[in-house]
Parts: sequence; C-alpha cells; structure tokens
Amino acid sequence: MKNKNIDAREYDEKVFIKRMNIFLCCLVLLILSSIISINSGHLKLAPLDTLRTMLGNGTARENLVLFDIRLPRILISILIGMGLAVSGCVIQNVTKNDLAEPGLLGINAGAGLMVIIYTLLNKEKSFNSILIMPFLALLGASLTAFIIYKVAYKKEDGLSPMRLILTGIGVQAGLTALTTLLVVKLDDTQFNMIATWQAGSIWGSNYQDVIIICLWLIVLIPYILYKSKVLDVLNLGDEISHGLGIDVEKERRYLIGGAVAISAICVAVGENISFVGLIAPHVAKKLVGPKNMILIPTSALVGGVLVSVADTIARVILPTSEIPTGIVVAIIGAPYFLYLFAKSKY
Amino acid sequence: MKSIVAEKLSISYEDKIIVDNLNLEIPKGKITTIVGPNGCGKSTLLKTMGRILKPRCGVVNLDGKSIHSLTTREVAKKMAILPQTPQAPNGLTVRELISYGRFPHQKGIGKLNDEDRNIISWALEATKLEEIQNQEVDNLSGGQRQRVWIAMALAQQTEIILLDEPTTYLDLSYQLEVLELLYDLNRSEKCTIVMVLHDLNLATRFADYMVAIKGGKIISRGTPNELMTWEVLKDTFNIDAEISINDKTGKPACVSYNLIKN
Repeated sequence: MKNKNIDAREYDEKVFIKRMNIFLCCLVLLILSSIISINSGHLKLAPLDTLRTMLGNGTARENLVLFDIRLPRILISILIGMGLAVSGCVIQNVTKNDLAEPGLLGINAGAGLMVIIYTLLNKEKSFNSILIMPFLALLGASLTAFIIYKVAYKKEDGLSPMRLILTGIGVQAGLTALTTLLVVKLDDTQFNMIATWQAGSIWGSNYQDVIIICLWLIVLIPYILYKSKVLDVLNLGDEISHGLGIDVEKERRYLIGGAVAISAICVAVGENISFVGLIAPHVAKKLVGPKNMILIPTSALVGGVLVSVADTIARVILPTSEIPTGIVVAIIGAPYFLYLFAKSKY
Repeated sequence: MKSIVAEKLSISYEDKIIVDNLNLEIPKGKITTIVGPNGCGKSTLLKTMGRILKPRCGVVNLDGKSIHSLTTREVAKKMAILPQTPQAPNGLTVRELISYGRFPHQKGIGKLNDEDRNIISWALEATKLEEIQNQEVDNLSGGQRQRVWIAMALAQQTEIILLDEPTTYLDLSYQLEVLELLYDLNRSEKCTIVMVLHDLNLATRFADYMVAIKGGKIISRGTPNELMTWEVLKDTFNIDAEISINDKTGKPACVSYNLIKN
C-alpha cells in the first residue's frame, strides 16, 4: 500500500511537472509574441531601441510609439484573448459542449448591442463611459445568456449541446439584425467607429481600458480557478455531479455568470472577437488535458498569444488601413470550427 | 435494519405523474434490485432516492432524516449514485476519474492528500484496475469503463450505492463481471446496494431483496423466492412465465415466457 502510494504520488508529480513545463512554454511564447508585436507595425522600433525606451531612455517619438500607441494595444489584445479564452473554457465545461463559446452563442453580440445603444445616446467618449460600458455590456450579455439558457434548457434532458448551439446561432442572428438596424441610424463618424469596433479592431486603446479590464479579470479569473474542481466534476454530467455533492443548478448559474461577465468586459473594452473562446481551450486541452486547474491558465495564455499575433498580423499586412483583428482570428477560426463540427458526435 | 425509507412518495415530470403514493424500505447492508417494464418509474424512483429529483410530495429518509433537509454534499458523503451510461470527458485517465470520487470529502480547491490516495488505490485494487490506472478512459472496453465508474463510487466511501442499470450495453460476460464485483463489495464492505436492472434473471441471482414496479406502483417486494412467482410476473410484465429453481445458484429463474393476450 505504502509503495503504491509513493508510486502514485510520483506519477502525479511527473504529470504535474510535464504540464507545468507546457504552461511555461506557452508563457514564453506569449512574451515572444509580445516582443515581436512591439517591433512590428507602421512605425518600426528595433528590439534594442525598445529595450532602451523601456528603461526610460527613449526619444520623444520612441516614447510615443511604445508607451502611448503600441503597449496599451498589445496589453489590451493579450487581456482580451485571455478573457475570451477563459470564458469559452468555462462555458464549454459547464454545458459539456465543445462547440459552445460566448461569440458563437450570441452573448458577445448581446453585449455589443448594448454598447452600440449607449454610443448612439452618448456621442462623446468620456472617462465615465469607460466605467459604465462594462456594466452595460454585462447587462446585454447576461440578458442574452439568460434567454439562450431558458430556451435551450429542457427539464427532462438538460442542456442539449445541439439545441444550445442552434438557439445561440438564432439569437445571434436576431441581435446582429437589430444591431444593423441601429447602425443605419448612425452618422458617418459614428458609423465608422462602430463598424471597425464590430469587426473587432483594437482601436484607440489606452491605459484606462487596460486598467478596467485588468481589474475585472483580477477578480473573476481567480474566482473561476477557485471553482476549477467544480468545473471538472460538472464536466462529468449533471447526475454524476449531483451524486458527488454539487448543487448543479446553483454552481452552473454562478459559473456561467462569471464567464458572461468576463466576455462582457472583453467586448466592452475591446471588441467582439468570435472563435477565440473556441480555439484556445481546444488547443490548451490538447496540450495539458482536461483538468481545469491547469487548463484554464493554459487556455488564457493560448488566447493571449492568439489575439496578440492576430493583432500583429492585422497591423503588418496592411499598415496604413489596418484590418480588424477579429477578421484575422475568424480566418483561422472559421475553418477550425467547421473541423470540430465535422468531427463532433452530435 | 432499514437504510433508505421512502414514505408516501409521489413524483411527477411537469404534469405527468410517474410515481404515485409509494412506500418503500431498503434493507441495510443488502443488495436490492428494482425490476419493472420500460417507463414504469424505476429509474425515476432511484433518482429521487438519490436526491437528483425532488418528489412532488412525500419524503425520502436516510437514517431517519429527510434527504431534502440535507445539503447535496452531505448526501454525497452517505450515498453514491451512478446514472445510466455516464460519459467521461476526453483525455481523463482511469485514476483521475476515480479521484473525483473524493470530491465530497475535499475542502478548498481539492488537492488530494495521502488518505485520498490510499482510498483511490484501494478502489483501484477492488475493481482490478491497477494495471490500467494511467490509461485514458476513452480507450477502454465497455466493461472496463463501467468498472471505472464503480471504482469512482467506491472512492466516495459511502454506505449506500445506487446504480441505474449498470449492465446496459454490456456483453454477457461483462454484465456478470460488473454484478459479481458489486456482489463481492457488498459482502466484504457491507455496503447497501440498490440497483435498477433490466434482466430479470440477473436481478434475481444477485439480489437479497427485490422490488417489482409497474405504472409507478409497487406490485410486489420480498426475497427473490418470494417475488419470482407466476402472479407477480404476470402483473408486472404481462407475461406467462415458466419459473424454476436453478441448481447452481439456488435462486429462481425465469426459463421461458409468453405474452399474455387478452
């Protein structure tokens, strides 16, 4: 018995170290992609110059490019990627559905609609609006999630994956139509702003946005991690979870609430990028397995890499008229989604 | 000695009444099997006894206390429930899945301690899964997979285990393997086992106590010898059965049967 226990613990530790190494690799990849991102774009900044500027010895122009333009944008794209990935990971676990993701389910569209309504009513972007926007986005996202949940949930067989996806796509189509209707009413400048935002471009990022999204994620991600074991068990199905002592309905509501809040802040601060919440958790699961304690942080890193790389590509391909990040992600994401759909059992 | 006691239990889905005013006592430390035709409410009854479903009225008592006054976690420390054909997520190893059985006993973020590891090792040994403990559950055969789920229930270390058709979709030899495992566990650990079984002869062979249900009502209950009679099988399954005592097991078995036509 003793020996077996030691063997088992050693094995557990070996697996843990292996997964930690993969996690660290992802971290290195994220740092590398950030460095590349800093150095690329319309205004070139060599690595050494970047380092010098970082240390406070840059010229006025270098300071401007690095601190005011590039850095907040990179930080925002990483944070959004992380948030959307974590949100997707939670929703996939809770619904036992590999294809669920806040973007595809229309939750992000719900958040976005609220943001547009707000923009319509308030023509100027003030500091107040940065504080209020996340809550409006949360309201929109929560309402959408609530509607989808109510429609897709059936008492007899719970939340069927197929019904969830179909409901989500339906709701998303409806919300998009409504959004288009509103956009028609915008004047030219508003229209341009919203059109870019809709397609997902991290425009006009500033430190206020960075701070706001950071604050939300600092509260929400540890909460989700604290619940990681509950997520593991929920993934075994409702009845098993009940049998293992989980109040399924309550925990599911809390966790979906957390995931919706995370995706709402991402939409409010940045944009509506679909597919990140789908791709990142999948790649992470392939790398470190299905245990959420390690899966969630790894998904966050993969999501961060994905969006920051997409943002860099968006900046590099067409330096003058920048293409929105969301489109770059979608070019990779859409085929991946179809691949998963073809492979899935439903 | 009684384990679970259901009193005046009525269960319904929306407006459809599945179980109506049912009283049932499950003997402690014994194997009880519940039999009955499709849609008779046997699974529903099992889920209600396991606190997955809430009854419309009536109570389920566990050691004299209503299970709906206990928290889900308190129930999980006393009772393990295995639903019909559970599905494991991709990429989980046998050992990892079994370790989830420790969940109701863990605090905080749920790191395994030495006691948990001991219990998991014991569950692996009892279900003869030690050799394949680091394999992924998806790659196992149906019988092995069912054994993993049973091992998870064992790791939960409860006095009672409820199982909903644990032999569904299994080959004959796997069915026996699973039931013999449960039988041995009942004899060695003295745990109370309640299971819904489809196969009448297997239900008889491994039971100490049997319950026959039809239309949400109990037709008969008692030892296999008391229950397996021509009348009970006629009332429960609408069959004209030929019953004889099996020499090897000493238990009654339904040798052949015909449909009763009105």
